[in-house]
Amino acid sequence: MQNVLSILFCLSLFYLSVTSRVKAYVTILRFQGLLLTVLLVFPFIHHFSIFALILPATLFIVKVIVIPRYINKIILDLDIKRVIEPTIQPFTFLLLVIFSMVVVFVASNILSKSADIETIPFASGFTAIVVGIFVIIFRKKLIIHVAGFLVLENGIFLFGTAVASELPMMIELGTLLDIFVVVFLMGIAINKISSTLAGFDVTVLGRLKD
Amino acid sequence: MELISLLKGIISLLVILILSPLFVGLVNKLKAIFTGRIGAPLLQPYYDLKRLFRKETINSTNSSFISVVSPVINLVTVVVAAAMLPIGFARPIISFEGDIILFAYMLGLARFFQILAAMDIGSSFEGMGAAREATFAVFAEPIFFFTIGSIAFINGLTSIYDIYHSIRLDNVSYLVFIIVCSISVFFLAITECSRMPVDDPNTHLELTMIHEVMILDNSGIDLFLYQYSSYLKLFIYAILETSFFYPFGVRSYTVGVVIFVVVITILSIALSISETITSRFKMKNIPQYLLFATAIGILNLLIYTFTK
Amino acid sequence: MFEFSILIFIPLLSAVVCYFITNIRLQFSVTLFVSALHLIFSLMIFIGWYQPELPFYFSTDSLSKLFLPVLSNVYFWVVLVSFSYLKKQTTANSEEGKKYYFLLLNFYLFANTAAILSNHFGMYWVAVEGTTLSVAPLIYYYRNEEALEAMWKYLFLVSIGIAFAFIGILFLTLSANGTLLEGKQLFFPEFVKHASELNPVWLKASFIFIFVGLSTKIGIAPMHSADVDATSNSPSPIAALMSGSLRVTALLGVMRIFQIVQPTSTYQFAKTILIIGGLLSLFVAFVFMFKVNNYKRMLAYSSIEHLGIITLGIGIGGLAFVGAMYHVIYNSLNKIVLFFTAGNIHRKYKTREVEGVSSVLNILPWSGWLIMISFLSISAIPPFGIFFSELMIFEGILFSNKPWILAVTMFLLLFIFINMGKTLFQMLYKKNEGEIILIKKERFEIIHFATIVLLMLLIAIAVISPNILHDNIVNISKDFGIKL
Repeated sequence: MQNVLSILFCLSLFYLSVTSRVKAYVTILRFQGLLLTVLLVFPFIHHFSIFALILPATLFIVKVIVIPRYINKIILDLDIKRVIEPTIQPFTFLLLVIFSMVVVFVASNILSKSADIETIPFASGFTAIVVGIFVIIFRKKLIIHVAGFLVLENGIFLFGTAVASELPMMIELGTLLDIFVVVFLMGIAINKISSTLAGFDVTVLGRLKD
Repeated sequence: MELISLLKGIISLLVILILSPLFVGLVNKLKAIFTGRIGAPLLQPYYDLKRLFRKETINSTNSSFISVVSPVINLVTVVVAAAMLPIGFARPIISFEGDIILFAYMLGLARFFQILAAMDIGSSFEGMGAAREATFAVFAEPIFFFTIGSIAFINGLTSIYDIYHSIRLDNVSYLVFIIVCSISVFFLAITECSRMPVDDPNTHLELTMIHEVMILDNSGIDLFLYQYSSYLKLFIYAILETSFFYPFGVRSYTVGVVIFVVVITILSIALSISETITSRFKMKNIPQYLLFATAIGILNLLIYTFTK
Repeated sequence: MFEFSILIFIPLLSAVVCYFITNIRLQFSVTLFVSALHLIFSLMIFIGWYQPELPFYFSTDSLSKLFLPVLSNVYFWVVLVSFSYLKKQTTANSEEGKKYYFLLLNFYLFANTAAILSNHFGMYWVAVEGTTLSVAPLIYYYRNEEALEAMWKYLFLVSIGIAFAFIGILFLTLSANGTLLEGKQLFFPEFVKHASELNPVWLKASFIFIFVGLSTKIGIAPMHSADVDATSNSPSPIAALMSGSLRVTALLGVMRIFQIVQPTSTYQFAKTILIIGGLLSLFVAFVFMFKVNNYKRMLAYSSIEHLGIITLGIGIGGLAFVGAMYHVIYNSLNKIVLFFTAGNIHRKYKTREVEGVSSVLNILPWSGWLIMISFLSISAIPPFGIFFSELMIFEGILFSNKPWILAVTMFLLLFIFINMGKTLFQMLYKKNEGEIILIKKERFEIIHFATIVLLMLLIAIAVISPNILHDNIVNISKDFGIKL
């Protein structure tokens, strides 16, 4: 089941690299959030407990409902154009993604021999981290940078489930809350940037230099 | 026993040869219904072929013998490729170890001669179409090898018949693998057969055509051969797609045929829906679309090989 | 539970209170009270009059005992001068920033204390991210374009950096696979105890990820850029807070993983990484000091330089490690002084460009002399503390197996000193042509008082060299397996 979800996760990453719509990014974030929720809920099918559902429920609310809605609201409020303004061709971007994916998969397969990890979710998560960074590097719009950051965080989350780390629930909730507040603050910052600097891409941020 | 097997193979080939225009007709009819038109009759492709068959062939004065032999070679190679495909659980006429490579290159040869013939005529439009076809073929080829080839790689089998027979759906990760593979093959079929969103078979502007522009100067029997082989090609890819779904049923010939009919119908619906809801891509976006399909294939291969 | 509520719960409570009070003066009194309480308590814990017993993910050891007073000291002085700072209008839009100023400060104290006292990597991570979140809006206090850009960059880069640190933490879990620690929580003390059993490959990866991730926050080159922007464009108290305590808190995380690495085969590798990071930071400070034309930026680079020295000291080990621990204290004290006085200059001249500032000594005699003295102090002139700590670090480097590092360091520091001095003395002494200087006595304000006290403290700690401090640092060294 983990593998199936990982494949879907990777497919969403491919779609992310070829799409040129801002809205599609939000949809992908929703989809990934949903996948992660399913991933969390899945182990509890056999031994159900209400207490264990708190984390998936919070994840669902934060990543599937609140954050995508918030980003959509920013897009609507600021009237951000619907194309993402990449700095390189989608074709090259996809090639980069494929290449790094192959490297990550092969590397993690080698590494999995020395530690007990689930190769597929591990590698998918790590690919998402790399893709998130690529998105931040190769896109101009700040709101897309936020989306890239979230993809990176999703990747870390998937990756975390693969290494079977048992972080206590309080801390997991804390990380979710932190991510939410980060996105919230970034949203406010983008609002301010668009009103004071008249623009919402990285080209307006060139004031601070040495 | 041997004879019956051979007979089944011949029947399979005949079915492919006879039904392929019907499949195109079905897709076009469904597409018309989805867009709210009545559409041409179901058997329109047959009528078209019949009409073309009776017309006189005229070749350009600039053209060489290539223009003459190309249509025939085109059809023959496609028919040979068709003879390698299993229908139901019958062993096809041509089936040996490594025929997967032959299959790919038979279709490649067909394309090669078509491109050559298009260049031979010396019209600028056809040259443009040939260039496009060649460019996109470069990106389309890996899709085939990363999907069908990856199944072959995993099972260690190199015959199409054996590969399809090795597909088992009892393992969950294998199931997902096959489903993702079939998505990728669907993409391939759309590209190779010049359907939307890569190419619009019904377009009327030469500048935007890919496949149609190459046969712009052909007429009569030549055009008949080209058209017929393009119908065949679409049907071949449809059969490739259906073959993924055989193992759902019981392993008997009749059930195989029933599954074949059902899946072909579903596929024609899927194809017509996808053609209705998508619009044609910009020419520059096509490579990334094809790379996307390749990426799916690569992902598939990676995931399956690294599953413990 | 009592000490827990004083140190962690009360700051949070006072943040909530600040949300409901609109009067700035009242907010200030509440915050000042909390900060004084925090300072007294952390000093008590440091001296040992009080043995704290903290619940779940918190505990104290000699390292956090040292870092806690550093934080509460910086915080106390920052809060003390904040009110006089807020009273004076600096830019037209900063009125808006005042509303949440003390709330965010309180939240910062809450998050930072939690980070220092945590004994669990997950808790540490959450708390450190919390400090970023509370500081980012404070950077935007001036509500101008530069501040906005600095805030965005800081928030974004540091968030990504911290995400990387989280990957490092996950790697640490992996390294515990198949040992006693498997399936247990990520508690530091447990990891330190069983460190030798950890898988070296994953441990190495974990160290790199945590170090690189947190170095966006510490300000170690090459990840320093967002930090420099943020420190140079935020109001002076916030800049002091960041340089004096926030960077140190991030350093704590690196030291934790370094402590775990210490008994393993990865130790040499980690040391090399730290030394490279330190030298690179020094080099970056060296390069940018040549062309810097913004005095607050200059101070930000000075912060990078000193964090670089500390990292270098930790990496070298031995006596240099002890020196680095002293340096943490002295540097944090000194940075408050520098940023406070620079803030005074900024307020008077309304510019951060060195070009626009002239004859400070005549116009602002108090601030002028104080910034000169604190410059001498940060450049390691005796009898100020930094002299002694740097001496110790240098001695450590000299007697380590890589004495050539000392030559490089000395060379870089010399040029940093010369360039910084050149810039600063130009500000202090240069007279513009035809400028008529109205000799006006600068009012002695609370900020000057704070500065003088801190400078005296810098001398006092160095000269008296209290035994408690020395013992504590020796204890830390023992924890890190350093034989003196």
